[in-house]
Amino acid sequence: MKKQIKKIVGFTAALALVFAFHSCDDLEKYELPEAGSIADATPPEADFSFTQGAGPDEEWKDYTFANLSTSATTYSWDYGDGNTSTDVDGANTYPGEGTYTVTLTASDALGVVSESTQIVEVVEPPTPAVPDPVIINGDFDKLAKLGSSNLCSCSGWDNDDIGEQGESSSGNGGSDNVVKFDNNEPDHVYQEFAVTPNADYSITIVTSHKTIASTPGTYPGSTLEIRILAGAGYNAGYTPTYYTAAPDFPNSGYGYTTVAQVETAANNLLVETIPNPNDDDYFTQTYTFNAGANDSVALFIRGIGGDSSVGSYGYSSGDEEIRADSVTITAVN
Amino acid sequence: MKQTKIVALLILLVTVFSCEKDYLSPELESLVNAETYYTTEAQLETALINMYDGIQGVNSTSSNDYHSLQVEFYLTEMRSDNTRTKASEGEAAQFESYNIVATNGIVADYYRSFYNVIFRANVVLENLGVVSEANRPRFEAEAKFVRAYAYFNLVRLYGDIPLVDRVIGNTDTEISFTRVATSTVYDLIVADLQTAVAELDNTYKTRGSKAAAQAMLAKVYLTLGTNYLEAQTLCEAVMNSGFALEPNFKDVFYNELNNEIIFAIGYFPDTEDSQNFSAEWLNAVGRTSGVNYTTADVRAALDALGGNRTMFSYRVDIEQPSQFQAIKYLPDGDDTLGIAATSSDPTKAGNDWIVLRYSDVLLMHVEAIMAGGNDTSVQAARDSFNEVRLRAGMPTIDAPNAISKQELLDERRVELAFENHRLFDLIRFNEAQNVLSTFSTTNGYNYTATDLLLPIPQREINLSNGVLTQNPGY
Repeated sequence: MKKQIKKIVGFTAALALVFAFHSCDDLEKYELPEAGSIADATPPEADFSFTQGAGPDEEWKDYTFANLSTSATTYSWDYGDGNTSTDVDGANTYPGEGTYTVTLTASDALGVVSESTQIVEVVEPPTPAVPDPVIINGDFDKLAKLGSSNLCSCSGWDNDDIGEQGESSSGNGGSDNVVKFDNNEPDHVYQEFAVTPNADYSITIVTSHKTIASTPGTYPGSTLEIRILAGAGYNAGYTPTYYTAAPDFPNSGYGYTTVAQVETAANNLLVETIPNPNDDDYFTQTYTFNAGANDSVALFIRGIGGDSSVGSYGYSSGDEEIRADSVTITAVN
Repeated sequence: MKQTKIVALLILLVTVFSCEKDYLSPELESLVNAETYYTTEAQLETALINMYDGIQGVNSTSSNDYHSLQVEFYLTEMRSDNTRTKASEGEAAQFESYNIVATNGIVADYYRSFYNVIFRANVVLENLGVVSEANRPRFEAEAKFVRAYAYFNLVRLYGDIPLVDRVIGNTDTEISFTRVATSTVYDLIVADLQTAVAELDNTYKTRGSKAAAQAMLAKVYLTLGTNYLEAQTLCEAVMNSGFALEPNFKDVFYNELNNEIIFAIGYFPDTEDSQNFSAEWLNAVGRTSGVNYTTADVRAALDALGGNRTMFSYRVDIEQPSQFQAIKYLPDGDDTLGIAATSSDPTKAGNDWIVLRYSDVLLMHVEAIMAGGNDTSVQAARDSFNEVRLRAGMPTIDAPNAISKQELLDERRVELAFENHRLFDLIRFNEAQNVLSTFSTTNGYNYTATDLLLPIPQREINLSNGVLTQNPGY
């Protein structure tokens, strides 16, 4: 009996010991958690992006907000203009231009909160007007040329690979202010300029032909040919440089380097010819072209109609000289 | 005796260790071995073909197989406002209702399939040394075209993804489980496509070609929204490469490799190289309960704007007249429409899948000219747009009227319905949020902005021991 009691006491003691060790720490996990008793292992993280609307009317005032938060269940949007929402994704129409602070508050079921704030600059997108291209020495003034002390109306307008340079002359109420395409010579002008792809442009040129001589001239005589050449046809790998002063322009080895390239139909956005009107007054012609898939084009003008074996370019002017007083190119908006 | 044993053991040990390394890992000689197989150009040519086999996917119902392109419609068209399941059942229905979970098997199937395609392309690139110098650029270009195609799909579907640009092994976990920014993925896509444009020609339609690379690069630029001029130039290059619209819309789909096709994945009827999506789109023909069925929304658009395209885009399901099926890829024909069966077993269909076709390029040309604006009245854009409209028997948009962004998006929808373009178009046009949230509300679905990206498959995250992070919203 004594032995039995001893056993019971011993057993109970052992049991008590086991409980003592286990009780606090191990049994606590079966307790209901109190607020904050267990750390939130996956706290919410608020994040969002936004997009401005687009359309023909007032859509630019409409913004959509994409909710990119993680580990959150409820959301609250403050759009910064007094409007709020509790939707998952946000959408708001702003009253007009301005700077708004947008706040997304994301919370999870444990009440942990995360905030994300971004500044929204609401601006009406400008209707972009196509700018006029920049033409250097479009008046054909007599200016310095690169690497030469001579002055020339062809300054800024020379590409020796595809023609001989035009020459200076006077006319139309001024001196040294027109470029001349000599009779029976392969004279040209050439200049590259930046354009907006697919925009329409208008080109205006003021020219004069000497009257057709009765002898030894042959009708129709000289014809002035005007081409707009696509930048897509430039030599492979060539990137144009837009000089701001006529004397800086190179005179060979750039853009178009052969007459064959010039005459390739696919490279031409515009080909117009001005035949001899048999009247040596100055006349104004206007043409339009579309820039197509180009952000750069070249204007190329030459005299044709003469003996193609003259010179080394495969073309030449006819029996009369042609003069160009000015060329202007503007965007058609 | 004991000593003799020890000596014998020592001799044996010395003998074993003095052998070369391959004593314990002998070269496999009786079977084809991936590490040593590629020794000639002809053998590497099989690796090129193998890439397209990867895109084709396996025609099976086993969820462990790589189904690749054959399940793409779940991830694209059924996640747009164009299609849904017929019965709203199973994991297939998670797509239409925007309730996709990270454990979705189709999401994982496509992910591993296209990384497998990338692996196949990298195998070609790894073994270029066996190709003659003259042909090496073409091999490289074709592999890079396929790799770019796979990455372009993955990056649009999953967002930031691991960038694997060489053959990697099981231990290269740093590469396979590190997500890189989409911009870095696009850098590789653009570089690969530029190589493809430079070196490929237009010999093939079911393999990479110059025109396919040009069209895809144009689409990449439009997606990035940065290089509109180059996108336009690329479209114009394709437009000058001899492709043309088929006069009859039906022939685009039922006269394979026609003039309009720029890049298609070929399937062969009643063989292992057949496909089953054609059958799955028809309940009681395929083995699903009917997937990629048309929504009322797309039917309204087709009825209003489809012209003569509508009758070749969807039809009533004769089994259940309240339901309507997409019919651009019918496996078993349609007598009323004059369409013949493409295979004797419809679940082994031969219909090719069109990835790029000419009308897509014409409409991309308009998009490039619009250059992110709200409209365009450039004549070149009207010409391209009207070419598509005229074939459809729809009114043209003539000068001085402009084509609006909405009109272009609508035209793409009805022209390219059920060809896996719609979701990407909505995202690219920045209209996904507006259109899909309205569509979701109307139909009682659960769309939110994070549904524009799929989840990274949970299986991949588990394999990475949690290194791979999940997209928001999953």
